[in-house]
Amino acid sequence: MIASGDPASHEGAWLALPWLANGRLSQAERDKIEPHVRECAECREELAFQRLLCNALTEPDRVTYAPGPSFRKLMDRIDGAGQQSRKATEPNSKTLATLVPRPSSRSRRWSSLEVWRPPGLAWAASFVLMVGLAAVFTTANRSAPAPDAPVYRTHTDTPAPAPNVLHIIFQGSLTISEAEQVLRSSGAHIVEGPDGQGIFGVAPGASGSNNATPSRTTRELNVLWARLHTDPRVRWVEPVPGEYSAGAAEAPGPRGP
Amino acid sequence: MKGTQSIDPHTSSESNYRGGSAAREVELIARIANGDRKAFEELYGLYHRRLARFLTRLTKRYDVAEEVINDTFYIVWRKAGDFRGDSQPSTWILGIAYRKARNAFRSSSRILAMENPEAPPPPLTSEESLKTEELRDWLVHALVQLPVEQRLAVELCYELGYSCEEISSIMSCPVNTVKTRLFHARAKLQRLLPALGGIAPTDGGVRGSSRGKG
Repeated sequence: MIASGDPASHEGAWLALPWLANGRLSQAERDKIEPHVRECAECREELAFQRLLCNALTEPDRVTYAPGPSFRKLMDRIDGAGQQSRKATEPNSKTLATLVPRPSSRSRRWSSLEVWRPPGLAWAASFVLMVGLAAVFTTANRSAPAPDAPVYRTHTDTPAPAPNVLHIIFQGSLTISEAEQVLRSSGAHIVEGPDGQGIFGVAPGASGSNNATPSRTTRELNVLWARLHTDPRVRWVEPVPGEYSAGAAEAPGPRGP
Repeated sequence: MKGTQSIDPHTSSESNYRGGSAAREVELIARIANGDRKAFEELYGLYHRRLARFLTRLTKRYDVAEEVINDTFYIVWRKAGDFRGDSQPSTWILGIAYRKARNAFRSSSRILAMENPEAPPPPLTSEESLKTEELRDWLVHALVQLPVEQRLAVELCYELGYSCEEISSIMSCPVNTVKTRLFHARAKLQRLLPALGGIAPTDGGVRGSSRGKG
C-alpha cells in the first residue's frame, strides 16, 4: 500500500508528480508540492521523466481513424435492436384483428368514399396534362439549337481534379505499429479511412505536408505505389480511379491478393 | 542542485478540450436522451478519435477498439436519460469505456492475442526529432507488459490528462488506489525503459521507491 502522504513531503510530492506533469493539479496542490520539487533533485528528475511520458503519449498519431464507418455500424446495431424490440412488443396481427371491431357496412362505404374521385375531376386533370405536354413539345422544338450553336455542357464534363491518393489494404495479421512502420518506411501517411472494408487512403510525404505540385505528386505517387506494391505486408494497393493519367505506363494496375 | 526552473503544467489538448466543451456535451446528452441522432453523431465524433487512440494503443487492434467504442456508445444512447450531470460528461463516458475495455481485455482469447509478445521496436536513435516518436513505440511496447488496471491508469493520466480524482471516478476506486496503481506502473516503466532506450536513469533501482512506499 502506498501512503497518500503529505503533499509537501517527498512521498506526497512523488505520488503527485504524474498530475504535476499533466497539468491537472489544483493551484493549492501545486503551491504545496512545487517548493519541494524545486529543492529535490530526485523529484525534478522524475518530473522530467513524467513529462517525457506525457509528451510521448500525447504525440499526434501517425494513424487516425475516421469515425464514420464505425458510427454507421453502431446505428445499424441500434436500429436492429430497435426493430427487434418493436417486433417483440408488437401484438400479432391476428390478435389485433380480434381486438379491433370490424367496420360496419356503413363505415366500409364511407371508407371507400375516401379513395373515390369524381369523374369530372379526372377529366380536368387529363386536360391539364395534355395542355402541359403540348406546351413542352412546342417549347422544345422552338429552342432546339442551331447546327452552329455551342453545345450545352454540364459541370460534370470537366474532369474532377486527381485526388492524389492510393487506396491500400494491409495484411490482416499486421498490427497497428507494423502498419505505421510500413508507411514510415515507404514515406507515406494516411489521409483517409479506414472505410468499412478496412481500406485506407495514403499519400506521399509526412503527415501534414501539403506542398506538392500536381506533377511532383504524380511522380511521388508512382514511386510510392511501386514501393508499396512490392511490400509483402501490403495485401492490396490501388491508385484511385482517374489517377496516373500522366504516368499510366508506370502504374500498371492494382496489386491484388 | 537548487533549481529555479518553472514548473508550468503540461497543458494537453485534452485538458483544453475538456474545459470548453463540457457544457456542450451536457446539452448533447440531453438531446440524445430525446432520441436526437444528430446530437449522438456529434458526441460520437468528439470521442471517437480519443477513444480509438487510447484503445488501439492498449489492444493493438482497431477492431477490438471499435467494438469497445461502439459498446460504450450503445450504452450512452440507451442511458443518456439517466445522466444527471453529477460528474463531467467525459468522466461518465470514459467510465463506461473503462468497464467495457476491462471486460474486453479480460476475455481470455483476446488477452492471448493482445499480449502475444512481438518483436520490440528498433533501438532509440539519438536524433532528437525522432526521439519522441520512437519513445512512444517503446512505451507502447512496455505498456502491454503492465497489468490491465495499471495500463489503463497510465493512459488515463498521461495520454488523456485526467486528474487523480477523475481517474478514481472513472475506475470506480479510491484515490489512493489510483496513486498506488500509477506508482507501480511508473516503477515498472522505469525498470523497462532504461534498458530499452537509455532515456531514464539506470541506477539499478526505482527512483523514489525506497521513500515512496508506505
